Amino acid sequence: MASEAYTKYRFYLEQRPTMLAVFSVLAVVLFLGVTVLSRAHQAQRQAIGERWFNRGIADLNGKRFDAAVTDIRAALLYSPDEYSYQLNLAEALIGEGHTGQASAYLINLWEREPENGIVNLELARIAAQRGETDNAIRYYHNAVYAAWPSDQEGMRRNARLELIELLLRNDLKAQAQSELIALAENAGPDPVQQERIGDLFLRAEDYEHALGAYNAALKSNRHQAAALAGAGHAAFELGRYQLAQHYLQSAISANPNDPESAERLKTAQLVLHLDPFRRQIPTAERNRIVMEAFAAAGRRLRSCAVPDVKAAAPASLPSLSDEWARLEPQITAVGLRRNPDLADTAMDLVFRIERETSTVCGTPTGADLALLLISRMHEGS
Amino acid sequence: MEPQSKAEDMLTENGNGHSASAWIQEHSPRAVWRYVFREDRLFLILSVFIGVFSGLAVVCFRFAIDWARLYLLGTGAVLTPVRMLLAPTLAGLVIAALVIHFFPKARGSGVNQTKAALYIFNGNIPIRTAIGKFITSALAIGSGHSLGPEDPSLQIGACIASAVGRKMRLQRDRMRLIAPVGAAAGLAAAFNAPISAVLFVIEEVIGRWTAGILGSVVLSAVSSVVVMRWFLGSESLFRIPPVELKRPTELIAYAVLGVVGGLASVVFASGIAWLRPVCKALPRWSQYFQPAVAGLLIGIIAVLGAPQVMGAGYEYIDQAMHGQFTWEFLAILAGLKIVATLLSFVSGTPGGMFAPTLFIGAMLGTAVGGAEHVLLPHLTGSPGTYALVGMGVLFAGFLRAPMTSVFMVLEVSGNYSIIVPVILANTVAYLISRGLQPTAIFDLLTRQDGLELPSMEEQREEDILRVEDAMQPAEGPVLDAKNTLDQALQQLDHSEIERVLVRLTPSGWGSVSKQELLTMAREGKGATTLGALLPIAPVPCLHPDHPLETALRYVDRWPLVPVVSRADFRHLEGVVTQRHVLERYREFGEG
Repeated sequence: MASEAYTKYRFYLEQRPTMLAVFSVLAVVLFLGVTVLSRAHQAQRQAIGERWFNRGIADLNGKRFDAAVTDIRAALLYSPDEYSYQLNLAEALIGEGHTGQASAYLINLWEREPENGIVNLELARIAAQRGETDNAIRYYHNAVYAAWPSDQEGMRRNARLELIELLLRNDLKAQAQSELIALAENAGPDPVQQERIGDLFLRAEDYEHALGAYNAALKSNRHQAAALAGAGHAAFELGRYQLAQHYLQSAISANPNDPESAERLKTAQLVLHLDPFRRQIPTAERNRIVMEAFAAAGRRLRSCAVPDVKAAAPASLPSLSDEWARLEPQITAVGLRRNPDLADTAMDLVFRIERETSTVCGTPTGADLALLLISRMHEGS
Repeated sequence: MEPQSKAEDMLTENGNGHSASAWIQEHSPRAVWRYVFREDRLFLILSVFIGVFSGLAVVCFRFAIDWARLYLLGTGAVLTPVRMLLAPTLAGLVIAALVIHFFPKARGSGVNQTKAALYIFNGNIPIRTAIGKFITSALAIGSGHSLGPEDPSLQIGACIASAVGRKMRLQRDRMRLIAPVGAAAGLAAAFNAPISAVLFVIEEVIGRWTAGILGSVVLSAVSSVVVMRWFLGSESLFRIPPVELKRPTELIAYAVLGVVGGLASVVFASGIAWLRPVCKALPRWSQYFQPAVAGLLIGIIAVLGAPQVMGAGYEYIDQAMHGQFTWEFLAILAGLKIVATLLSFVSGTPGGMFAPTLFIGAMLGTAVGGAEHVLLPHLTGSPGTYALVGMGVLFAGFLRAPMTSVFMVLEVSGNYSIIVPVILANTVAYLISRGLQPTAIFDLLTRQDGLELPSMEEQREEDILRVEDAMQPAEGPVLDAKNTLDQALQQLDHSEIERVLVRLTPSGWGSVSKQELLTMAREGKGATTLGALLPIAPVPCLHPDHPLETALRYVDRWPLVPVVSRADFRHLEGVVTQRHVLERYREFGEG
């Protein structure tokens, strides 16, 4: 029956237009068939990829970077463009120490999503590790203003903190200070955070802001030793020795094992004790301090002029010694009482001696350090 | 006049739609069909169908390879030693049985089979070959044999095209050309590079450019790539890193890569040339085990530390491009891949050589680039740049497709800034390879198989005889059509010449014999001009640069053919006769 029908319509069936119609139908059918096949293939690959990726993430969380790299690489075989796979592979590679390979993946990801915070942060870290400071700063800045999947504020703050650390390591204090000011403005009342900001301000030599940050940290707990020590340090550097003494005494009470604060307290107390220009001081007491300071300067001058440093001593030192020697007979309680201007002359010489010897013989300690700080405090007054 | 040509005239002469519709109304439906589905138009339509079918087949082929790999080698990035040893070995046994008993024509890469279809079998390739190629190649590549999917895809495309052509009962000349059209479609889909596929087929399979062929090949290649991209996406086979040439002086570094690549190509080709006949000469029973032994040896290479040699290896090309291997390891990998591919190919395992060639080129390129960086740290070329140039170098040196090699790199990289290093390095490699190994690999394989297919390379390099080689100065006077018969006879009075040329007015040339002139003079036409006396059909003219075979078309009908300047058709450069042409051919043949 069918062959009869074929014979009857053979001419039409074997005509080219008919064949073209058959090809068209066949193409559609095959297309649909391959679509089904393709979906099955894709689903299978995706499932395998996810399986390997989950294993990789488990390894990554367990710090088994080597295994994580292998697993995530396997996952990438099945989904080579999967963003999260590439990102986690880069992190595993960084963990393994293969920053070069990680960088290649991260740059690829960065080209796809330049606003991704994690990618920028990782690239910044790699650049910082390689000593490419400019690149690192650029990526850190991107990370600070980037989009983060969760805890956006916290991640941005951490990125900025890392950036500040980098700037401080590279002695870029001005830039670090401006970043710190921005960080402080957005920081919450968390004392730990404020204390860290205070520490960074201290390292950036912005003592005023450091004191502010430590005070903010102390608001919730006034006995926090590290914050007290930091505030004392900041006040000390600002020349506010009374305040420094207060903070440092509290810091030592809270943590007696803090030699740095103890040393700084000692110096602050000496500064307060040896300053003849402080207000409401009796004349006799002031004259006694001047004599003490003059004697200390003489000792400092003699110790700094010892043979081993003589060679390095500038020509001014002999003249200071001569000056000191000439003035020395007059610096007595009687001499100072008779001639009130002599105290200023004596202290002027003391300050010059301390400054000159500090440049030749290094930073002094004890009374000499206190005198040097007092000289700085009264500089220009 | 034929109905179709009538319609053609109507449509082409005035483009008047009304006339065409009037013509359609006047003629039978059969005549209209015949006109619409004229052979050349049909061929173009079929090219699209061939492209679509080939694209679908190649997509399925890629899935099949992937599935074979998943089930035979496992899903991980790191393969287990047991699988590395067993998968290619066992698959080799199965492949050998299939090839020997069911699909004997599935052996080899597929390029020569397509050429054979064009030149020997009138475009006929059994569909069984495509099925065999599909199954055996997918098994071979998926199990880790060092072969690629491109050449099999090319052959599958050619088989599909041949089947379509047979169903459409195409004329013989069209049928012959249909296999290359399918080949271009298959290759384009496999490579995701339509320009390279078109060029390769023109350069290596067909060997000539005509508008008809080019149109069909381009249509099929584009259709197949569209289908392939629909299913598999438009991403390149590997991630291309930023590539550029910063300083022209660095071209020297790429020239060195060309030299190394040229030598590597010679080693690779010589290895196949030597080992393939040895394997073929082994007893027939050994053919059952040759692919398995090759698979086992490849497995051993993989277990010993180079699993990268297994399969097509595109993922490792990607890794090399991104600087993930040391240059020493890359050099070792290039060497091992040559060995692995040699083993797979000479054992008769079906599969292609394109992917291994690209692999070797990429590894070699990156290795040479890395070594040069060690010696000259100021060089700025990235591993990716050297890998891309290296791929082109091997393509030019080993496959001897210089044009395709350049365009392939450009198409794959999508970056034209490396065209200069690519051209330089490829040319160096091609010249070295051609100098040291005069026979191209595909021609070598054809001759080893006892076939004599035209060598495209030899055709390109062949010395062509031109008309100027056979041309002689015109003997005797050149007459003018304005001359009267008496004047002409006066000019010929003292000449022994039998036949002379006549310069016609306003242009063109004629020829006349002295005998004819004398006859006309006897008829009393002495005062008539030659222009009025000579036959209307003028003698065809040739130019000195015409191929000599063009002259052959005329010299038997016109005893004296003028050779004229292209700048001035009335200026006679010389003449050719049948005797001149034949003598020149004889001299050429004698060497």
